[in-house]
Amino acid sequence: MLIIAGTIPIKDFPLVYGKATFCGSFLKIINHEIPCSQGTASMISAACEVSAYLKTDPPYILTAGDIGHGDGTRKIYNYLIENVNKILPDVIALHYCLPIMGLMKKFVEEVNRCKNDIKLLADASSMYAAKAAGAAKDFEIFTPDLSELCFLADKDATHPAYMKKHLFANSQNIDNLIVEAYKYSNAAKLLLIKGRIDYIVASGKVIEKITEPDIPTLEAVGGTGDTITGLVSAFFDAGLEPYEAAIISAKINRIAGKYAGVQVASKIGDIINVFKDVFKDHLCELSGVCIREETQ
Amino acid sequence: MFLKNKKVEVNGAGLILVEKVEDAIKVEKVLKIVGYAVKLVAPPPDLRMGCDLSVECNIAEKVGIERFLKGKHVPFLEIRPTKGEGDLLDIVKIVNFDGAVMVKAGNMKMTISKKTGIILNTSGGGCPDIPYLNLQLVGKKIYKAERPADLGLTLCALMLDRAFDECLKIWREG
Repeated sequence: MLIIAGTIPIKDFPLVYGKATFCGSFLKIINHEIPCSQGTASMISAACEVSAYLKTDPPYILTAGDIGHGDGTRKIYNYLIENVNKILPDVIALHYCLPIMGLMKKFVEEVNRCKNDIKLLADASSMYAAKAAGAAKDFEIFTPDLSELCFLADKDATHPAYMKKHLFANSQNIDNLIVEAYKYSNAAKLLLIKGRIDYIVASGKVIEKITEPDIPTLEAVGGTGDTITGLVSAFFDAGLEPYEAAIISAKINRIAGKYAGVQVASKIGDIINVFKDVFKDHLCELSGVCIREETQ
Repeated sequence: MFLKNKKVEVNGAGLILVEKVEDAIKVEKVLKIVGYAVKLVAPPPDLRMGCDLSVECNIAEKVGIERFLKGKHVPFLEIRPTKGEGDLLDIVKIVNFDGAVMVKAGNMKMTISKKTGIILNTSGGGCPDIPYLNLQLVGKKIYKAERPADLGLTLCALMLDRAFDECLKIWREG
């Protein structure tokens, strides 16, 4: 069971917990419809597409409206802190939330008290909060981009806006950044570093670099990092090893960019809408997960 | 009393520095009223700027707090992180595409059309206001759009504002 927890940019949207379905241009959670825009909604949509294709359980979504005040973030954390020991999911993936270190610490402590081994993933500000709260090592997977790797490599920074200038200026020195991030336990066990080259890093060692297909315009499109995180979460929950889930997700996101003919002005929905075709054409060869279509 | 005994957990890695003790008390009071998690603390010696009282806050909320305090004319000196670099990252990186340019400022990116100045996309981040800013900004002309720092509330919005600034400069310089 996978829970994806993160805010959506709709003021006063209530706290909602339930199964999600991706319906083309919007998400349906219980009786709520959420537009598929950049952020948590893109992540959920990608994860829903994986579960729909694999015919596995759809992700459970925990969301609330928040446009930066932290109100929705607090509702989400408090719900998780109070209920995680009753729900006992296999995987929790945290996404767009205000980085509130105190709540992140409480949440991780609560997860560590649970009787099952709940695996944690984080992206966006939840990853910033996990690092700043000293909880990064409790996470299975982080999905930073290159600038966020610089932040993880800065032992003192509590937000990427305050990372050391020389780290950002010399971000091409990936190996050094990885060493620094792991030296101070500021990285998850596995990193999927998103960029022109995607790096898969396990316990501080680069185990795979993904360069093809090379679609430079993907980086400009809001939500393309979110969809990778959604794919990783769903594939991991479906039973793949973290490194397998990361490698496959990075490749699928690139191929989807190619299928969608991504331009800098593309919308994230253009990419999510082709995942089904990409899975059909490539998932079997990439993962060994082969779906046999029954014909009448 | 339940409320009296309830501890305020802030641990937000930010400090609002003020000149006078009474300013710190006022800052804490007005921010608490509108729901910010803040508390009075003694600043570390290297951050003392004339007063031995400051207000701890969540550094990610810097933009919203600054705007609120200025709007209420509540005096404060500066909001800064409790550790690490004290100055905001001010380096930007530029990536050129066919007919468009993407500016990266820290964890945030903005892409505009070189021909029309239209904001084609924003990506990266972030905090909860970033998807909101994406919806507000994409499709607008950079020279007419409201600034991310005026629309957003967080440090990610501030970094997007840096990218916005550079995009505007590129557009104006042709």
